[in-house]
Amino acid sequence: MKSISRHFSSFPPLLFCLGTVLLLSACDESGEKTSDADTDGKPVVALVMKSLANEFFKTMEDGARAHQAENGESYSLIANGIKNETDLAQQVALVEQMVSRGVDAIVIAPADSKALVPALKKAQDAGIVVINIDNKLDRAVLAETGAIIPFVGPDNREGAKAVGEVLAATLEAGAKVAILEGVPTAFNAQQRRAGFEDAMKAAEAEIVSVQSAQWEMEKANTVSSGILTSHPDLAAILASNDSMALGAAAAVKASGKQDQVKIVGFDNISAVQAMIKDGRILATADQHGGKLAVFGIEAALKILSGEGQPEDKTTPVDLVTKESL
Amino acid sequence: MPDLPLFALPPYSAPLFIFSSLILKINMPSRPSILSRFGESLGLVGVLVLLVILFGIFGTNFLTASTFHQIANQVPALAVIAVGMTFVIITAGIDLSVGSVMGFAGAMLGLAMMDWGWPLLFALPLGMLAGLACGLVNGWVSVRLAVPSFIVTLGMMLIARGLAYLGTDSQTKYIGKPVEWLGASIPGIGISWAFLFSVLTVIVGQIILSRTVFGRYVKVIGANEETATLSGINTRPIKVTVFAIAGALAGLAAAFGSSKLASVDPNAGEGMELNAIAAVVIGGTSLMGGRGSVVGSFLGVLIMATLGAGLANIGVNEPVKLLVTGLVIVGAAIFDAWRANRMKQLPS
Repeated sequence: MKSISRHFSSFPPLLFCLGTVLLLSACDESGEKTSDADTDGKPVVALVMKSLANEFFKTMEDGARAHQAENGESYSLIANGIKNETDLAQQVALVEQMVSRGVDAIVIAPADSKALVPALKKAQDAGIVVINIDNKLDRAVLAETGAIIPFVGPDNREGAKAVGEVLAATLEAGAKVAILEGVPTAFNAQQRRAGFEDAMKAAEAEIVSVQSAQWEMEKANTVSSGILTSHPDLAAILASNDSMALGAAAAVKASGKQDQVKIVGFDNISAVQAMIKDGRILATADQHGGKLAVFGIEAALKILSGEGQPEDKTTPVDLVTKESL
Repeated sequence: MPDLPLFALPPYSAPLFIFSSLILKINMPSRPSILSRFGESLGLVGVLVLLVILFGIFGTNFLTASTFHQIANQVPALAVIAVGMTFVIITAGIDLSVGSVMGFAGAMLGLAMMDWGWPLLFALPLGMLAGLACGLVNGWVSVRLAVPSFIVTLGMMLIARGLAYLGTDSQTKYIGKPVEWLGASIPGIGISWAFLFSVLTVIVGQIILSRTVFGRYVKVIGANEETATLSGINTRPIKVTVFAIAGALAGLAAAFGSSKLASVDPNAGEGMELNAIAAVVIGGTSLMGGRGSVVGSFLGVLIMATLGAGLANIGVNEPVKLLVTGLVIVGAAIFDAWRANRMKQLPS
């Protein structure tokens, strides 16, 4: 008996426990309030986003929460995201958890245009309204599974082309450019690449390299450094999203070629605005992320209340340059 | 919902409950009697039950068959990887490459099924073979060339991931129905074939570990390799085999993972090795080697999956999710170290 009490008196793990509880009590608990709303009979909308490490999706979540705060009587919101842009299995798991939990609608920005379809089809079969935002699901795969999921989002190709044209105006014919694309199987990544290519072809610039940095800043830094080394006379880097543009900017700065290499991005995250103002990044496109989620939620609510029929909707994309800021 | 004080909410109290259950588990007699062995698993089951009750109270529709089926169908890949990882860790080694090997094996599976037109029946063994090959390389280099397993498997982690990208041309490859059935719920039962196979793997793994000579040798090597060698055990082939098993099981996990997405994903399994190590530690296997339980690791996997599912059900924000999961893992490791220390101090 004595030995046990001795062990309890020198009990670091117990102190750790208590310390944990105290520490966590100080944390923000903004997430938990949504669960008790279901009993009021309000529809529950689940927002499933991509990587919350990307500021764009944080903006999207904030926009959705602001909308829900204003329209608290019409629905309740539950938002989840994944760790990084490529964690498909986790996003599938999130969709399934929302189905188990019993939500009325899922508004999803899929990390991949093909791999999420089976899980979303199952959600639809369970009677849940599914709206696709940001990155369009693959039409062929949707047709194969028989799912009908409307898309609410921008015309990525047009937006990328507009950004590319701003860059083209500063380039000479034959200038060498490189494109950083997102996750290659994501439809919006493919569209932005196509838009950049449209603009560069029209400007008669030479695309020397197209590589994927998986939407992420760190990878973009590494990939850009490699491109800069193998093409010393590079004139510009077109990044398919701002996270990657920031990574490219860091690589360009590290190589000392800020005056030689121009950079454009897409998304208009706040971190990039400062760089546009001082000229380090030339232009980006704003797809109004906060509003994007709201458009998706409103489409879902329309369908739930029986008003709307599922159909695709194109949302606006605005060019952002030094002049427009 | 009752108006409870802040610390009663699951994200905060979950770690507390887990720790206290682990405390209870620790106070079981340390003699290797059947009761104590059950006691270890009982502690883990207790934690699992507590988590389920907690999330049942604070979540929405958590205590439904649907939730349990969803958790069960989510764990097969991690479960079989944790089985392999248990063996490796018991020999006092570590395998950081299992996630990437899963990606590589998946790439081979995708190549076989989509490019060569093989059915899953042949593609799955091919995937396991690819994983086995990687495991053999890990084992051979770390044993024969005496390079620490940490470094060898770290290198393999990158190599296998690169091969995965090559094999899939850096894109997800949609396969569809031929692979989907593995991960789909069996009508009427709700859980998938993948889950049943993973449970079978766990049972076989536990039998091998606790009832075969091989398993006994694995433990001895981990506890004190020099003693093992001096007692005449040929430790080298055993250590290589253990890595080979981990690799092959990563190949099996690739099939399970692909069935969930109905696609092969070059990024599959990224971070899986750390989740597997966490599950193994929560399950009571010591990172120092020498003792462990495959069933414990499986329960560790279930605990982590339930924790994740419950937190998502409540809709807790991302930072809190990460905090809670990290704290649970660290807490489990602290208790494990403390228990090992206590077992040394108590009179035999």
